[in-house]
Amino acid sequence: MIPHYYQHFCPVKILSGHNAVSNIPFEMDILGCRRAMVVTDKGVVDAGLINLVREAFADSDKEIGYVFDEVLPDSSNRLVNKLAKLFEKEKCDCFLAVGGGSALDTAKGANIVISEGTDDILLLQGNEIIKKELLPMIAVPTTSGTGSEVTKVAVIYNEEKNIKMAFASDRLYPRVAVLDSRMTMTVPPKLTAATGMDALTHAMEAYTCMQKNPIDDVFARAAIELIRKYLVRAVENGKDEEARLGMANASLLAGIAFSNSMVGMVHALAHACGGVCHVPHGIANAILLPHGLEFNIQSIPRPIAELSGMLGGSIEFMEEKEQAMVTVSLVKNLLGRLNRISGLPVRLRDAGVAEDKLPAIASAAINDGALAFNPVEVSYDEALEVLKKAY
Amino acid sequence: MGDVLKRTVNLIRSLHGFPAFQSKVKHMLCSTALSFLGPAFEVVGRHVPEFRKEIESWEEGRRFALRVLPKGPAITLEKSGDMIRYLGKGLKSPHITLSFKNYDSALPVLMGIAGSHQAFAENRILVEGDLAKTMEINRVVNIVNAYLLPGIATKKVLKRAPKMTLRDYINKGKVYAGLVPAVVRHLI
Repeated sequence: MIPHYYQHFCPVKILSGHNAVSNIPFEMDILGCRRAMVVTDKGVVDAGLINLVREAFADSDKEIGYVFDEVLPDSSNRLVNKLAKLFEKEKCDCFLAVGGGSALDTAKGANIVISEGTDDILLLQGNEIIKKELLPMIAVPTTSGTGSEVTKVAVIYNEEKNIKMAFASDRLYPRVAVLDSRMTMTVPPKLTAATGMDALTHAMEAYTCMQKNPIDDVFARAAIELIRKYLVRAVENGKDEEARLGMANASLLAGIAFSNSMVGMVHALAHACGGVCHVPHGIANAILLPHGLEFNIQSIPRPIAELSGMLGGSIEFMEEKEQAMVTVSLVKNLLGRLNRISGLPVRLRDAGVAEDKLPAIASAAINDGALAFNPVEVSYDEALEVLKKAY
Repeated sequence: MGDVLKRTVNLIRSLHGFPAFQSKVKHMLCSTALSFLGPAFEVVGRHVPEFRKEIESWEEGRRFALRVLPKGPAITLEKSGDMIRYLGKGLKSPHITLSFKNYDSALPVLMGIAGSHQAFAENRILVEGDLAKTMEINRVVNIVNAYLLPGIATKKVLKRAPKMTLRDYINKGKVYAGLVPAVVRHLI
């Protein structure tokens, strides 16, 4: 069905290949940049991935101005302000974010601070509030899940007010996304499984939620098919270059899809699990995905039914709701397989969630922005019911 | 007959000054709808316990505004005690502003033809401020719509139309009865 109205935008140049990082200095040249601020975390540095980036600069006239490796699992306003000051002090002219979603969000946040000339980005939270052109940013993801390299969103924790600030703007898209299989090769199996399920959740929610549209459907389908082909392979053998690149592409495609189509109740619940019980985002999404799909079958059985074919299930010419339940069981099968080979939790209780925290998670979930795009209204009681099932 | 009508409409639309006239009409419609919507928050809050329960956890003094870009009408509302007060037309230092991109984006929502969730989904609304608090506001807008619009419209406008009990229908009647006096009071 063609939606009444929709928008699609993705201005990111994509480089994908086994040595794609080598092209970064050339891309900086095209962007008119000379000195990059590398934004990353200590884990990425320890894994030797920044060395791969340094090697790419060795024979070029571009340079790395500074390596900021203080990024934490949650980006914060303090960190963003510190990075912005360093950026100016080191006379850098572009951001080169190397890492997971947090590194990319920190770079996006500092970019807002510098371009808008403010040290209080709290005033700029919301959607499409950023009015000034941001500095060029090149994103090199080191996990295959968040899709941040092609999204227009940044989430930054405000330490003083103890709130997560969300920013969404077409100006927040990186200029270049670099997918290099070497950058995800060191990710351990459990994290590979969790981030892969995160990408699957992005694609499935983009395909089934309210902003679903023909363009993003194409990206979501392609992502799901790549995940079906490569996720288990990448978890079983982290050194499988093809599988790693396949998953990096899947994550990017899912990122494009959900950046436009948005996500729904699975993400709302997962964000709340993260906020209340610190469950890693990918793990929470993995556990909640089949339950969220099952809940939404009441309203949108057809798109959920269509997902079964993308996951390799046969189309049995069943009633839509029955076929949609096939999708749910295929997702559960995939989760079970990932649990056996990597130890990925399949229940909230196994992910460190205490049962008495479920009401607090449900309360937080119904205030999450993602819920606005879920095709079915979700009340507090219903959110709690879904959480209990996933527990 | 259809062709004649089509040609007449085209002729009217090609008249010099028609776009400006059309824009004025749209402005008037949006402005009138907002003049009803603002006081409706007060009236629904007075009669509907569900509404009061929803805003129970809001911080005192939270201000939010609805407006139409670029220079359309706006209203500001404020949480005060167990109700939401209508502060009148214009932006009065709101913490959260929900802005419709233009009249065409605003009209279906303000006239009760499309829901706020659809407006969000279709990028018709821009949000300035805390997105979590915006979700809370959105739930309150849905309650107001449920009591303001006839049942047939709520089925279209809300993701899930509420199942009304006899008591809810009585409250709906009270909302209808109280709305016009409330609008008049704010106009005076």
